[in-house]
Amino acid sequence: MPSLMRALRLPQNDPLAIIGVTIYVVFLLVALFADVLASDPFEILFTEDGNLAANLPPSLAYPLGTTNLGRDIFSQLVIGTRSAFLVGLTAAGAVVALGTIVGLVSGYFGGLTDQILMRLADIALGIPFLPFVIVLAAFLGPQTQNVVLAITVLLWPNTARVIRSQVLTLRERGFVEAARVAGSSDLRIIRVHIAPNIMPLSLLYGSIAIGWAILTEASISFLGFGPSDSISWGGMLQDAYASQALSRGSYYWFIPPGLCIVLVVVAGFFISRGYEEILFPKLKD
Amino acid sequence: MRSVAIRFAQMLLVLWAVATILFFLFRLMPGDPTLAYIDTTFTAEQQEELMRQFGLDRSLAEQYLLYFANVIQGEFGTSFRSKRPVFTIIFEVLPNTLALTVLSITIAYIFGVLVGAWLAWRRGSIAEAVGIPLVLTLRAAPEFWLGMVLLAIFAFGLGWLPSGGANSAGMQFSSTFDRLTSPDFLRHLILPAATLALYLQGLPLLLMRSNMLDVLQEDYVMMARMKGLPEWRILLLHAARNALLPVVTAFALGLGASVGGNVVVETVFSWPGLGRVLVDAVASSDYPLAQGAFMFIALILIVMNFVADLLYTVLDPRVSHG
Amino acid sequence: MSLLRVRGLAIDYATKGGTLHAVSRGTLDVGAAEVVGLVGESGCGKTTLARALTGIVPRNATFMGGEIVFEGRDVLNGPPDAWRDLLWRKISFVPQSSMNALDPVYRVGAQMTEVLRLRGGMGRAEAATRSEELFAMVGLDPRRASEYPHQFSGGMRQRAAIAMALALHPALVIADEPVTALDVIVQRQVLDTLRDLQSRLGVSVLLVTHDISVVAYVCDRVVVMYAGEVIESGTTRAVLEAPRHPYTMGLTNAFPDLERAGGTLAPIAGAPPDLRAPPQGCRFAPRCPFAQARCRAETPPLTIDADGHASACWRSDEAAALAENAKDPSTWTLMSTSAA
Repeated sequence: MPSLMRALRLPQNDPLAIIGVTIYVVFLLVALFADVLASDPFEILFTEDGNLAANLPPSLAYPLGTTNLGRDIFSQLVIGTRSAFLVGLTAAGAVVALGTIVGLVSGYFGGLTDQILMRLADIALGIPFLPFVIVLAAFLGPQTQNVVLAITVLLWPNTARVIRSQVLTLRERGFVEAARVAGSSDLRIIRVHIAPNIMPLSLLYGSIAIGWAILTEASISFLGFGPSDSISWGGMLQDAYASQALSRGSYYWFIPPGLCIVLVVVAGFFISRGYEEILFPKLKD
Repeated sequence: MRSVAIRFAQMLLVLWAVATILFFLFRLMPGDPTLAYIDTTFTAEQQEELMRQFGLDRSLAEQYLLYFANVIQGEFGTSFRSKRPVFTIIFEVLPNTLALTVLSITIAYIFGVLVGAWLAWRRGSIAEAVGIPLVLTLRAAPEFWLGMVLLAIFAFGLGWLPSGGANSAGMQFSSTFDRLTSPDFLRHLILPAATLALYLQGLPLLLMRSNMLDVLQEDYVMMARMKGLPEWRILLLHAARNALLPVVTAFALGLGASVGGNVVVETVFSWPGLGRVLVDAVASSDYPLAQGAFMFIALILIVMNFVADLLYTVLDPRVSHG
Repeated sequence: MSLLRVRGLAIDYATKGGTLHAVSRGTLDVGAAEVVGLVGESGCGKTTLARALTGIVPRNATFMGGEIVFEGRDVLNGPPDAWRDLLWRKISFVPQSSMNALDPVYRVGAQMTEVLRLRGGMGRAEAATRSEELFAMVGLDPRRASEYPHQFSGGMRQRAAIAMALALHPALVIADEPVTALDVIVQRQVLDTLRDLQSRLGVSVLLVTHDISVVAYVCDRVVVMYAGEVIESGTTRAVLEAPRHPYTMGLTNAFPDLERAGGTLAPIAGAPPDLRAPPQGCRFAPRCPFAQARCRAETPPLTIDADGHASACWRSDEAAALAENAKDPSTWTLMSTSAA
């Protein structure tokens, strides 16, 4: 654990950041070994007397009980970890990559390029987020990549704006000017002098974006526009909601997926807070 | 004044761009492009009327121009399902959405500002060590799940509050105002508003706290202490007054965003609002209604973004008395 | 009896790198209707000491000992309420840069009447009249009271800050680098206003500055600080013309002609010590061209002669000869090469 924290340049004395990383590691392990931990989440279970094992409360055989269709909730929860990470990591990666590139280009080159890119950012921020994701998912088909695409298209401006202002301050520093006078190419200046200085900030936004992406995917799945071919926590909650789990008081069904979402998302927040504390003194100097 | 004019022009540009994106977005949907406005269940006359109104038999460029002419007049066509004008449907549900949004965001911001300022003041205390992770955790919870938990406890478990809708079946009211102020409506409002408020309070709380921490370091706060002014006055009239500026902007932004973001809360509580109309319309391929609802949500968002800019200008004398 | 008497004041800052002893031997006096300069390099603790006289210190600062006696009462070791009660009524403050010291969201006039009403107990009308009077007194157009701080120029803000400090007829005004942020001509004007009002109102001023020419221009007496300690004090004439501490010699050496305005302290070779781990003995010894073995081992006490001229140097009885030596620039350059 300590070496991992060092590798991520995390503050080792910030308890919240340590909790955050621990949560991530645990869920990552669950996602990796999901096949070992869970049985087939789609399998329809029957009791020994041949009846459908529907709406069973938690027991030793089914730690979190069963759904109204006789499926094992625990297995769904474990398998759901995978889609959460799949969506969270790919969407966050795409958002941060796009945002960082736009912010770099906009801040470094300035002028008309900057104007155009920043107006594009205004436009993206003028599009209602969830409605857009819903419409896109409905029109392009309920697949994971469409949800990721919709998230990327709308969430990049936040990262881009922050990176841009950071690049603007970096550009004023002596070493960039010196490199320019010495005849370094723009590409080289960006690669050698600017990019390394904004990477921590990109990572910070990435760890927050993972959370937003997972929340968005869960919302979309809950509304019924999510990927229908895989098990996700949002989809489980939609199942529970639609099959009267609330009125039956089947807390074992709808509490665990929600808690898992909360844990993964808050882990990102905890880590990013730790990051802020080590980053901002450096950014302010 | 000049900067306000530029802001206004930028807002119009964004409105135009979003409307354009919407026009093409609704031509992405599967099938015949005339499907955006015409459903086979319409009568022949209705179909003809819509063909003419939206120029569906003409070129894409002409359709685009007609689309704008119609959007400006608030003309979004006829709902496939209810066969009523989209504009009418939207205006029926708008009061429900506004009541829910305005109430919950107001509660969330009042709570967030007070607690955020208090946590900044009690910096380094146990309240902070417990409070900050708690707020972050609440902020990480999906709105719809918070709603489900509240529903399970207060509506189904304890039976204290209704489980959905904005009014009990069969209630009659003489006016919209009557309906919105009736005890029946308010009882239905409690759970969705509480859910939304719980979700929204984190942002103003954390923002207010971090602004307060910055402002408390400012020289004018130290000077106020050196003047021997009472501590409450320093905290409220000097520190909090300054820390509040960005929170007010966030309030306007949040109001705009949550009208569209309400879709999940409105769905959980079957709340007849703009967001739920959109979800239902998309789910049932009622394209004109979906398009109209989307445009309305976007309009509110964009206008509130503009208002947020203006508010900052008005509230900060460094900008308004430049 | 002096108005303010500070003895052995010590203030620590808790920092990430450890405890920083910002002030360790703060000793000074301010008499009635007197202007006292507090000089030293940046980071020598002069601002910390000056601010501490109001009892309003940063969160990470702690009083470690000493006494602050104001009008015969030790406020540091007395009840906090009594100290608080003195603020602005008896002791007021003119900050370094009034840009940040005035609240940006309130009109300047409102900030003036706030203190007049809340601390001066005046009614609305009385406060308004007094506010106009104060504006006029420092040479500001009273009509500009309805403007916001950012609409004022730097000089106007500083005048407003002086007016505010004089609002309740205090006995002592602490002015922390009051003219540093201004250009030279405006500096003169503001200093003239300050000096003029001081003599008219009979108020005492403790003027914190790093600028020897400001001291020469307005101060009756001067207190020199180095590395958190007061190392010399006396009348301005005595200290600047016959300095007893080699550090003061180094400072004044840079200004052979004190009438020539606008200079700042010329750098003495080397850097001030790290106050988280100050050196043993005299803290100036590592940079002192006259340092001897004893200087590096034992801390010299601050001793006062019959004229009230105090200094903390083991060789102060040789001061006249050392001062002569110190006028030769090579004394300091030789020192720096041998140190290097």
